[in-house]
Amino acid sequence: MNGIINERRQFLLRTCIGVTFIACFAVFPAMAASLTVNVNDLAGLPLRDAVVSVVAKAGTHVPAHAPRTTEIEQKDREFIPYVTVVQTGTQVTFPNRDALLHHVYSFSPAKSFEIKLYSGEPPRGVLFDKAGIVTIGCNIHDWMLGYIQVVDTPYFAKTGADGRVVINDIVAGEFAVAVWHPTQRAPTIAKNLKIESRETAAIVLALDAVAPKKRFKPPLDSVRYK
Amino acid sequence: MRFSIHSLHTRIVVLFAALLVLVQGLALLVVNTTNTQIAKETIAQELGVGERIFLRLLTQQRAQLEQTASLLAAEFGFRQAVASNDRATIQSALANHGARASASVMLLISLDRQVLVDTLHQNSAAQPFDFLHLIRVAEADGKASGIVTIDGGLYQLVVVPVNAPTTIAWVGVGFAIDDKTAEDLKNLAVLDVSFLSRREGGQWRVHASTLSADMRQSILAKISGVAIDLSTELHLEDDIYTVRLVPIDEQSDTKIVAVLQRSLAEGIAPFQRISSAFLILAAVAVLLSVVGSILIAENITRPINALADAARHIQDGDYTQKVNDAQKGEIGALASTFNHMLDGIATREKENLRLAFEDNLTGLPNRAMFHDRLAQALLVARRQGQPLCVMMLDLDRFKHVNDTLGHPVGDLVLAEVALRLRGLLRESDSVARLGGDEFAILLASGEPERASAVAKKVLHSLEAPIMAEGQPIDVGTSIGIVYFPEHGEDANALLRRADIAMYAAKRAKSGFATYEPQLDEGRQDQLTLLGELRRAIEQNELVLYYQPKFHFATNTATGMEALIRWQHPMRGNVSPADFIPFAEQTGNIRMITRWAIDAAIAQCGRWIVAGHPLRISINISARDLLDKELVSYFAAKLTQYGVPPELICAELTESALMEDPAHATETLGALHRLGIKLSMDDYGTGYSSLAYIKDLSLDELKIDRAFVSGMSHDAQSAAIVHSTIELGHRLGMIVVAEGVETGVELGALKHFGCDYAQGYYVSRPMKAEAVIQWLIDQRAVALAIGA
Repeated sequence: MNGIINERRQFLLRTCIGVTFIACFAVFPAMAASLTVNVNDLAGLPLRDAVVSVVAKAGTHVPAHAPRTTEIEQKDREFIPYVTVVQTGTQVTFPNRDALLHHVYSFSPAKSFEIKLYSGEPPRGVLFDKAGIVTIGCNIHDWMLGYIQVVDTPYFAKTGADGRVVINDIVAGEFAVAVWHPTQRAPTIAKNLKIESRETAAIVLALDAVAPKKRFKPPLDSVRYK
Repeated sequence: MRFSIHSLHTRIVVLFAALLVLVQGLALLVVNTTNTQIAKETIAQELGVGERIFLRLLTQQRAQLEQTASLLAAEFGFRQAVASNDRATIQSALANHGARASASVMLLISLDRQVLVDTLHQNSAAQPFDFLHLIRVAEADGKASGIVTIDGGLYQLVVVPVNAPTTIAWVGVGFAIDDKTAEDLKNLAVLDVSFLSRREGGQWRVHASTLSADMRQSILAKISGVAIDLSTELHLEDDIYTVRLVPIDEQSDTKIVAVLQRSLAEGIAPFQRISSAFLILAAVAVLLSVVGSILIAENITRPINALADAARHIQDGDYTQKVNDAQKGEIGALASTFNHMLDGIATREKENLRLAFEDNLTGLPNRAMFHDRLAQALLVARRQGQPLCVMMLDLDRFKHVNDTLGHPVGDLVLAEVALRLRGLLRESDSVARLGGDEFAILLASGEPERASAVAKKVLHSLEAPIMAEGQPIDVGTSIGIVYFPEHGEDANALLRRADIAMYAAKRAKSGFATYEPQLDEGRQDQLTLLGELRRAIEQNELVLYYQPKFHFATNTATGMEALIRWQHPMRGNVSPADFIPFAEQTGNIRMITRWAIDAAIAQCGRWIVAGHPLRISINISARDLLDKELVSYFAAKLTQYGVPPELICAELTESALMEDPAHATETLGALHRLGIKLSMDDYGTGYSSLAYIKDLSLDELKIDRAFVSGMSHDAQSAAIVHSTIELGHRLGMIVVAEGVETGVELGALKHFGCDYAQGYYVSRPMKAEAVIQWLIDQRAVALAIGA
């Protein structure tokens, strides 16, 4: 019982400190505004592989994009990149760069699929037409883990090592700025943001997340397993 | 004897048996103690091994559970079903894998810790998962396991994540830990196993066990006293168990342990078989040793008992029983030595017997044998009512022979006497040498006629001189005769009375005498008198009487013989003949003589003072001559009373002089030198040789009264008296005649030239007080008759 209480208390705490905005509002130009977001962990250090998405609220019109494709490689028995962010309707291919077979699958509600044992180019791409988090794995190699965030907006970006993203060409309007990271302990609440034309906005987001834990990968040239 | 506690036999057997029992007992004690110790150590080891086996089994089982869980969690279809929350598929997959691994329970737990599917509760709604610690461990390690209680049952539960590829749920797989599990463990580890749990602050409860219901209760009652990880001895249900408590899981609120236990009785059982075997072996060994020691003891004690038997035969005087000395070794040697000893004893005893019953000198039976024969003869005589006769004799003057001629001559004389005695007796008579010169004769018949005849023959046979070393020796004898049953009933009485009779004969010079009771009585009387003698001297009961010696030449009495009288307060006057001889025999005569010397010299002194210097004669016994102080006593008394020595005359009997001539010569010489006159009394009765008398410095001879009284009617006696007087004179001696009782005798003596006369005709002995008056009266008479 105590354990449960503790867990809940920690959860509330995390929610409170979950997202902190330190926003510097500037006047956006009527057209083509730009948003810079710095994502830090709770220690204030830049957080890599965090996905920032800016979703238009009702009333804000966002121009449609032509369907796009992207790919997630299986190379050296890893998904590369580790985190991929795509707009809904994007076709993703899973080319196998290893000299062995992979069996890519996902049971995520946003997209459930599997590409049974294959090598080289898979027979087809997978269309991600529903916003959400898709966790992908390989049925043969348990440690292989990858994430695809499917967002229903053209404005999104993934932080690099510096924890910063710059999203350009955002139309003026009202948006919700959301941030997500695979290791986050709790979902963050999206931050409403009104963007003016030609505005250059910058916000800092702090997130209770850590660099993903390295999963054990048995070496290929050895039979010594842990 | 053989079975007495002190017998060698018993002691050997008991010693052997006791030693063996002791050794076996100690060994058994050691074996038992060691066995118990080993059993306990073995049990402790078994428990340790059991614990390792048990923990290993738990580990293996956990691995199996983990494998089952992991396999299930990794299965693509299952993950798909979980991801899609396909409850029916999930349930069937859980059931399928559970059956495959023989799991007791399969769980699917959601990420929010709700039990979505539970094979134990198929249709129940989702429940919170109770064992969050397992989830926590599994989150960190990828798997977790623990012992938990579900619905009161104990389960080993493993929880692993379902990764797709991130964790989407948890799978739990559990094995029930029940009595069957415990039994399986027992089969492997040969230990009793119980699983117990206790919630914090609660009671222990048993979940599963190999034990009976009662034992479970016992264990519960005592479990709190058992330390973790230590072997502890517990007393449960009439048996001792070594118990080991193995903690197998502990969460914050519940402690779960396995109790391993082993019965000490079971552990000891194999050792008890060893002990039993040892006990039987020990019993057999003791039995064998007892039998063996009995045999050994028999072997040792049989010959010893034989020796003891033989020794008893010897004790009883039987020397014919030899010991079997056929056995080899020490016992045989002992038996052989024993037989030699037996022969030696027999030979020596024969010799001792001969020496004991035979007189070595004469070859005659000795006193002991004579006594024996007499006793035998008395038995026969008493039975047949026959009389017996016993004679006792000794040789006269034998001491003189021994002293003058030496013991070898004396021995020859005794041997010759023995020969002569033996020669004149019948075969059925016995003659023995009782000792010294004393012989005894036992006549087969008790007729007085024959006894007299034998006595006369004996006297006659000893009349002939015995030739020894070329010189003839005269030995006379005196014989005492007694008859059975007249004079005594037993040998002692007869011999004593024969002795009395013999002395009577000697005194009477009659050759032989038959015992008469009055002899014995007189003797008794004398013995009593002797007892009173000392008192008599002290109380002046003794008194001296004086008998005048009439001097023919002066026609008056110039001397007096002092005669001792005992005026006994009860008996009146006692004659010297009644006590002097026995005083001589007992050594009391010396005392009497000294008294008489003192009294006589004192009286002499008084008469000198009164104007009557009378010569006093004092009788000296042969015994007195042995008194070395006698001469100095005389000298002292003469000085004391102022009496010149020539007024004192010592009178000795002829026989006294002859008894011990050497001493007599010496003492008489000394008295003579002192100036005392010496007189020989009773001359003519003692066979003394004149040559001997010549050497004795005698001054006076007194002719025995027997000759004097025979003078008037016996010409021979008169001749003897006459010639003795002449002989005395020729030798320069004064001659005194004793026992003068008539005037005729007095006249004859005067005619023969005798110097003095003494006797009743002159005067009876008188008291000292009467002497002076008598002298005056005599002088008047002499003047009157003109003699």
